[in-house]
Formats: sequence, C-alpha cells, structure tokens
Amino acid sequence: MTVAGYDIPRAARPGVRAWGQLVLAEMRSVIRDTAGLIIPIGMPSLLLITQGAAASQEILPGTDGRSVYEIYIMPLMLVMVVALVGVVNMPSFLAAYRRQGLLKRLAATPAHPSMVLAAQVVTSFAQTLVGVGLALGISAAMFGIVGPAALAATIGAFALVCAAMYALGMVVAAVSPTPNAAVALGLVSFFGIAAVGGMFGGAQNLPEPVAAFGRWLPYGAGVEVLQHAWVGEPISWQPVAALAAAVVIGTACAIRLFRWTR
Amino acid sequence: MRLRSVVRMMDIAVEVSGLSRGYRQKTVLDGVDLRVAVGETVGILGSNGAGKSTLVETIAGLRRPSQGSVRVLGLDPWRDRARVRGVLGVQLQEAELHSDLTVAENVRLHRSFYRDGERPEELIDRLGLAESARVRTQHLSGGQAQRLSVAVALVGRPRVVILDELTTGLDPEGRRDIWRLIEQMQERGATVLLVSHSMDEVERLCDRIVMLDEGRVAIEGTPAEIVNGTGADDLEDAFLRVRERASARRAS
Repeated sequence: MTVAGYDIPRAARPGVRAWGQLVLAEMRSVIRDTAGLIIPIGMPSLLLITQGAAASQEILPGTDGRSVYEIYIMPLMLVMVVALVGVVNMPSFLAAYRRQGLLKRLAATPAHPSMVLAAQVVTSFAQTLVGVGLALGISAAMFGIVGPAALAATIGAFALVCAAMYALGMVVAAVSPTPNAAVALGLVSFFGIAAVGGMFGGAQNLPEPVAAFGRWLPYGAGVEVLQHAWVGEPISWQPVAALAAAVVIGTACAIRLFRWTR
Repeated sequence: MRLRSVVRMMDIAVEVSGLSRGYRQKTVLDGVDLRVAVGETVGILGSNGAGKSTLVETIAGLRRPSQGSVRVLGLDPWRDRARVRGVLGVQLQEAELHSDLTVAENVRLHRSFYRDGERPEELIDRLGLAESARVRTQHLSGGQAQRLSVAVALVGRPRVVILDELTTGLDPEGRRDIWRLIEQMQERGATVLLVSHSMDEVERLCDRIVMLDEGRVAIEGTPAEIVNGTGADDLEDAFLRVRERASARRAS
C-alpha cells in the first residue's frame, strides 16, 4: 500500500529476533537488579528446608523408602512456590513497568502484548527453575530424597503446573494498574486457590464440595498431578484437564484484557 | 512556509476530523480538526490540561476516539495499530525505558521491533550518545535521556514522528542539541508533530502551529499568521491573547 508517496508496509508482527531481544532485556534487568531474585530463588530452599527436618525421618511403607516429606510435603511446597512466584511475584514486575510508563513506551511500537507477557513469563520461569533446582539439590543432600519414580511424567506435571500458574499470573499482570494492586490481586488469587486446594491442612480435611471444587483449580489440581507423578501412580484426567483449561483460558484472557497504561 | 511543505502540500500525513475524547465525565478533546501535510512540522501548543497529550496519544493509537476519526497516512491508528506503529516514531511524556539496560541495549531492543530501520550504532553516534552507549539508562543526565528518547523514536526510520514536550527540563545547550536533531529529521522528510510549551522552540522548528484551549482548536496558522492575526507583539503574547479571548468567550 502506498500513501502520499510512502510505502506502508503490511502489518508484520515483530519476529523471533524481537521476542529474543525482549527476553534478553528482561533477563539483563533481573540480573542487574538482584533484589527481585530473592523470592524465586531463595524461597523454595527456605520452605523445603524448614519443612524437611522432621518429615524426612518418617518413611512411608511400600514407597521404596520415600518419606512423608518427599511424597506429601515436597509436591505441596513446589506448587506453593510456583504459585507464589507466578501469581504474586511475576505480575508485580509488569505492574511496575506499567506505572513507570515502560509499557506505554512499548505500546507505541509494533510490539504485541503477547511478547511482553511471554518475556515476563520466560524470565520468571527461568528463575523458578533455578530456585526449585537449588531447593531439590539441597533437599537431596540434607534429607536424602529418593527422587521421582516417573521422571518424565514428573517433569511434564511440573511444566503443566507452572504453565497454569503463570497463565493465572498473566491475568493478574494484564489488569493490575499498579504494583500494589498486582500484589493485592495476586495474594487474593493465591490464597483463594491455595485454601481450597489443601494448603492449610490438606484437601482431605476440607468439606467435600470445597475439596471437589479445589481439584478444578490450579493449586489443588497441581498438587494432585505432581504427587501422583512423583510416586509413579496413574494420573487422573480431571486435574490435567483443569490445569490445561487454566493455561488456555488464562492466556487468552490475559492477552485480551492486557492494558498498556494505567 | 518552507519549501518542503509547499512541495508536498497535497499529501496528508495526519488527518484528524471532529475528534472528541473524554475521561470520566470530563471532555478532554472536543471536536478537534487537524491536517498535517507530509514533511510538515506542526507545533501543538496549549496550557496544561488543554488536551495536547491526549491528542497526540490518540493519533499514536494509544487512545480510542470517543467521536470523530483519526488517520495516519490513510490508516486508522486504533484499528490498524500494527501497521501504523510500524511507520510512527513516538516520544511521549511519562514513558520510560528499561532503566537497567544500557543506551545501546535499549536502542537495539527497539530496533528489533521494526522490519526496517536505522543501524543502532550509527544512530547512537549521530545523536551524540556514543560515549554513553554502555551506560545504564538510570545513570544518564536529563539531556542524554532525552536524546535516547529521540533515538528510540527514530530507530524504526518512521515516516511520522510525534514528540511530546521533548525539551522540557533541559538546559539551553541540551535544548539546542535536540532542536538540531529535529532539524535533521525535517531534512530527511519526516512529518513531525511537536507538543511544546516553549514559544521559541515552535517558532524555530514549526511550519504551522495549532493552539488548543480546553480541548478545542483555538487558533491555527504559521507563527507569523498567528502573531499578526492576534495583533500581538510575539508568539507568547499571541498565546496569552488567544487564551484570554477563549476564556472570555466561555464566560459570555
């Protein structure tokens, strides 16, 4: 198309190079401002170590020497860490960008909301992987964990839990006008899904309708999927479907609701 | 009127017709009409809250018109956002860059969003930022930060450039440097919309001026036409007279 002597290019979304540059920019920002690393990298180890001392001594029969810590506490804690980082921590960074006007600046370029969200998720996920890897390494060294019975299924389950939590976090990030709003909305979402997912005393102690409802939300579904995968038991379709639905619905809503400015 | 405007007068780069925009019961823009020719530099003047930033942000496709229409090179910046943003270079108020990235990293990041554009290193050099290329944005002086803003706005080799209060807060030397940059853009044939509070700035740089008052176009024309038409001594005097007349009209 030519207007006023100018060749107007067709709408071309920025390519892979732009996605890579944006991820690289986020990674650099995180590495240069290390305060943001405390939660995703420090918290998993802290939680697992404080919970592991007693629970790792209690070996469950018929589990190839796995302890209460490994079968019950660790999956719960890993889901909690991913939920906290994905739903509370990651959105606050994007909301800060919104308040600083950095998103407004990007809004005037051909960058698409999905690029900004993806860069945040990739950067945060990388931090989570480092934090969880470190925590598992420390747990193995201190408490002698046996490890997952089905490694591929456990990795797949963990990836699905992360995707679901980050999808929910992207919705929080998309709509929160300020960092405080992001933390508030993130915490409400986190405690909401965690409470009905069994974080406070286990799902078995919840009223049946609440527990059934919690199994359809990312926290309850995530704990169930990760526990079963870790010990090598078959995984029910229901929590997998719940997590997959959270990924699809959350991502679509986040892109649709994304706001560049306050 | 400058030659480059006469040559391309028939080509319209930006066309705003009956544009209105409100926020929470308050009308910020009220039936604004504006035509900017290709290669022309138009200054947008007005008091604080006159609607200048809302006007340019709507032209940039960041805000949706409540009424009326906006066209940039024939395209609707709200509906054809992806295409319009490919040909626009925008520097806005309250729009920051990654503070932990260096000058070069910020420019390279923004260059990656465009299919064609300037070579980041050359642009950095041209804007006098070569010595600061490895300095993080948060450590730049006000003048350097504004130059970087210009670099980021120009890196996609835009056809239409929007600059919102670019020299506010700069020392005289910094302002002169930025002015020279804008003159370079003009020499390259870019269409420029320049929002400013500085009369000497618009007088030096702009072919035409549009004065906004409470969301409406109060007067428009070349600097000389506005000064002569209002019977003022200079542009600042003309601005104040236009304001007074508009206030008197509203009061009556």
